[in-house]
Amino acid sequence: MRELVRSNPSIPWFLGILAAFCLGVTFLAEATGTGALSTSFVKTLGRTLCLCLVAIAMDVVWGYCGILSLGHMAFFGLGGYAIGMWLMYARTELIVAESLANAPIPPTPQEVEDAIASQIFGVVGASDFPAIWAFADSFVLQMAMVVLVPGLLALVFGWLAFRSRVTGVYLSILTQAMTLALSLYLFQNDSGLRGNNGLSGLQNLPGLGAVPQSVVSIAFFWASALALAAGYLAFAWAVSGKMGSVVRGIRDNEARVRFLGYHVESFKLFVFTLTAIVSGLAGALYYPQAGIINPAEIAPIASIYLAVWVAIGGRGRLYGAAIGAALVSLLSSWFTGGGAPDIDLGFYEIQWTDWWLVLLGVSFVAVTLYAPKGIGGLVDLIAERRRPARTGDLGPDTSALRKTEAAE
Amino acid sequence: MLPKLRALILAASALLLCLAPAAHAQDSALQDLLQTHAEEVADPGRRSVGALMDDLAASDLPGVARFLERWADKKVYLNKEDGRFYYGETEDGSFALRDIASDEPVGTAPAAAMEEIRPNGGVRRVISGALVEFQLSDPDRAARVDALDSISRRPTADQLGPLRESIEGEPDPALKARKERLANLMTARFGADTETRVAAIERLSGAVDLETRAGLSRILSAESGVAPDLPADANIARELEVGDDLTEADAYARLVGADLAAPLVTNADIRDALAANIEDGAVGGVPVAELSDPEARTRAYAALAEAGTVPPLVTPEEQAQAARAHVFYEVYDEPNPAVTDAASAALSEVEARVARHQVLDLGLDAVSLASIYFLAAIGLAITFGVMGVINMAHGEFIMMGAYTGYVVQQVIPNYTASLIVALPLAFLVAFAAGVALERLVIRHLYHRPLETLLATFGISIALQQLAKNIFGTQARPLTAPSWLDGAWVMNDVVGIANIRIAIFVLALIFLALLLFILKRTRLGLEVRAVTQNPGMAGSMGIDPGRINMMTFGLGSGIAGVAGVAIGLYAQVTSEMGSAYIVQSFMTVVVGGVGNVWGTLAGATLIGGLQKGIEWFNPSNTLAAQTYMILFIILFIQVRPKGIVALKGRAAGD
Repeated sequence: MRELVRSNPSIPWFLGILAAFCLGVTFLAEATGTGALSTSFVKTLGRTLCLCLVAIAMDVVWGYCGILSLGHMAFFGLGGYAIGMWLMYARTELIVAESLANAPIPPTPQEVEDAIASQIFGVVGASDFPAIWAFADSFVLQMAMVVLVPGLLALVFGWLAFRSRVTGVYLSILTQAMTLALSLYLFQNDSGLRGNNGLSGLQNLPGLGAVPQSVVSIAFFWASALALAAGYLAFAWAVSGKMGSVVRGIRDNEARVRFLGYHVESFKLFVFTLTAIVSGLAGALYYPQAGIINPAEIAPIASIYLAVWVAIGGRGRLYGAAIGAALVSLLSSWFTGGGAPDIDLGFYEIQWTDWWLVLLGVSFVAVTLYAPKGIGGLVDLIAERRRPARTGDLGPDTSALRKTEAAE
Repeated sequence: MLPKLRALILAASALLLCLAPAAHAQDSALQDLLQTHAEEVADPGRRSVGALMDDLAASDLPGVARFLERWADKKVYLNKEDGRFYYGETEDGSFALRDIASDEPVGTAPAAAMEEIRPNGGVRRVISGALVEFQLSDPDRAARVDALDSISRRPTADQLGPLRESIEGEPDPALKARKERLANLMTARFGADTETRVAAIERLSGAVDLETRAGLSRILSAESGVAPDLPADANIARELEVGDDLTEADAYARLVGADLAAPLVTNADIRDALAANIEDGAVGGVPVAELSDPEARTRAYAALAEAGTVPPLVTPEEQAQAARAHVFYEVYDEPNPAVTDAASAALSEVEARVARHQVLDLGLDAVSLASIYFLAAIGLAITFGVMGVINMAHGEFIMMGAYTGYVVQQVIPNYTASLIVALPLAFLVAFAAGVALERLVIRHLYHRPLETLLATFGISIALQQLAKNIFGTQARPLTAPSWLDGAWVMNDVVGIANIRIAIFVLALIFLALLLFILKRTRLGLEVRAVTQNPGMAGSMGIDPGRINMMTFGLGSGIAGVAGVAIGLYAQVTSEMGSAYIVQSFMTVVVGGVGNVWGTLAGATLIGGLQKGIEWFNPSNTLAAQTYMILFIILFIQVRPKGIVALKGRAAGD
């Protein structure tokens, strides 16, 4: 542990700030404190923590391993779908049981299942459970799906992609194509996941109908914070030590690492699959707080935004990704939610609901051009120290192409 | 001839003698004919009117069609004073009369003397049926087309004769062909004897049109039936095997429908029956609480059935036995087997031909889709090939071109002129935007391809939102000039919209233009040099920066032109670019980077594939796209560098 902290001095800082933040929110929340923060805002903060977790995963796969994956939000969404299936099934089961309780004769298990199916799939004109809902009645099995579905998809896709040495821009576009294919598939009504209606009512936890949402929200907030802390520790461990060096080496010069005798494909596949699983878990925590999931959440644009967060926050440092995700997603909801004041230019009034995306796009370009280290680079200024040159602080591609040794 | 002569003589004598009243002077053959059937005209009934109709049709008089029309419109009146028929119109209390044959005004009559003739609905149908025969030879082409349409909607045996007669005098070749086809079809259905019908059916087997297909399948219409034994006298279409042609459940349902078996007792029936027969907390001796078990339910129901309160369960064995004891078949409505055999042979021949034509049509669709993809992707391919950067804002250049076309159309109302202005203007606008993007952003990001991807993505978000702010979220129309409307139609199966032909031609033009620029100009030479080895090209005095800028501008400009082309048949929205960007990437990746021929191959493959998949599953374009992307992911496994692989910087090494 001491070794881990020495190689990652950000761990105590990050965990400390996260703990302080959690305590602060708890004291201000409706259920556990003064009530200064509304339940919906606590939910927003909890969701933001989940986004931080998926951003850290993205940072590991992109900032450390050099794979610009445009598919991690798809894994995130798959995790959400997996948990959503159980939530929806279990809750509908309760509703159906209640409505069938008054029937003159008790229902058979088959009748109960048929009633649940027609309740859930009525919107897409079906009344049978598709095969993929086979485990939906079991929380444990469905939680296993949260891990298995994104993990297996990442494993198969990554195996196909890495073994044929698809790299760089090609790989990004291939992952984007995978994401697009997945979201188009889910948009179909006969995909078995309610088409573009998605899964809804996920905020109502089965069996906890009597517990107010304010309590549920703070519980989920804590669960998200714990997951984020655990994820941070796990990834900090993964990217430090020998394995971290190999992974960073792959980012900087894949061929050289291969010639040193490492099986590059296995390392990439491990990182890709591990981050996909963490993304799925983050999604499983996110969507019960969001309440609804539909295929639009999986569309390629979501994954691109994830890359934007990580880039703005600062690649190649875990806290940078978390900062970027939290800052940009909160700012985004502040601007698009009408929270930002309009600016009157005299001849034109800038309404931020219309102009936020323009601002985001332009500032993203500016960050890419002028501040490749992102917001995380500010930490370097504050700490008044530079990372040793061997970690390649010039960014993955420049340092790889650099002909001479680093100047300092 | 004779009645006309008589009319002439009558008219002449009336003129000479000046004795008869004016109305009598207008005496005519038609009036005479009507007078002989005066009762049927004045009070027509559906049954009695037949003889009159035959006489009218046989008389061949010029005013008959007009008379029939007005008769059906209730504009024929009977003058009770002289017992003659007139066309009449009310004019404040009195009637303006017109002669029945010549439609000339023949004076007025008091309203009291006139009796309106009101044919009922059945008679009006007979009249309009008779009218169709007259309309078949109407001088107005539209009237003839209407008549043909109405015949082909509800063909009857008695229309066949007039239709045949009208073929001879038909001046329009297309209509003549249609009449012949329709006559053939009707002969096939209503012909006098088997030989004429079979001959007519055989003549039909060369067609592909919908009318013939519908006609043939109408002859082959069949009803399903079930009986203990196959009926001997019926024209059996086919026998159905339970298990192969129809499921056991369907078979049993047909038996129930034909009252040959007892209806099934469904689970819902069991539940309702049990609920209705609860006595002292138990049904048939089984406590209610235990009834959540399906087996207990069956037991309880069996007990009820034993007691006779409910119909007994039909076991699967009983169902299978009932199905075995009967034959299931389809029987033709047409009793003559020779006719149905000939028709089914003809229909299968027609369908085989239709399938071939459908393949041709699919090919045309695929080519048109491929040309769109080619136009959308070629700009991307050359920038990727020459500079090794991928431009996520490429789709927004397409959008920019489309909006340029829209704005030009607001200024220049003439669609043709605005299109001629819009195409080069869209090129210039997108060219300028491309050059600006290259100078301001991409130039600083060479050697960082992943970051170029992201930076151009930032541009793409900003441009999309900007377009939304300027033009609003609703779709804007880009109207094609009228000469691009319509379609080139070969027959009912093969056809392609003119606009798609135009896009195909545009794609060909740009293919030729690009090949010319790359192979025959100084710029092209320099572009190829930079593509192969930028360092060496720089050493030879070529300015790679300038070449990059020009290439990027060229690629973007073509995207702008593609935008105008796409906007002409799809709607212009701020999101139209993102709809094409992934397809364009796929085209580039599949085709191979930085090569015009590669892009062409990629566009052809993807366009053909997409149409092919849609053909297998036409209801589901989403699934088609999903499968296509999966195919591409697998294709990359086989040929990671695309169909036409390229060496050099663009090869990504």
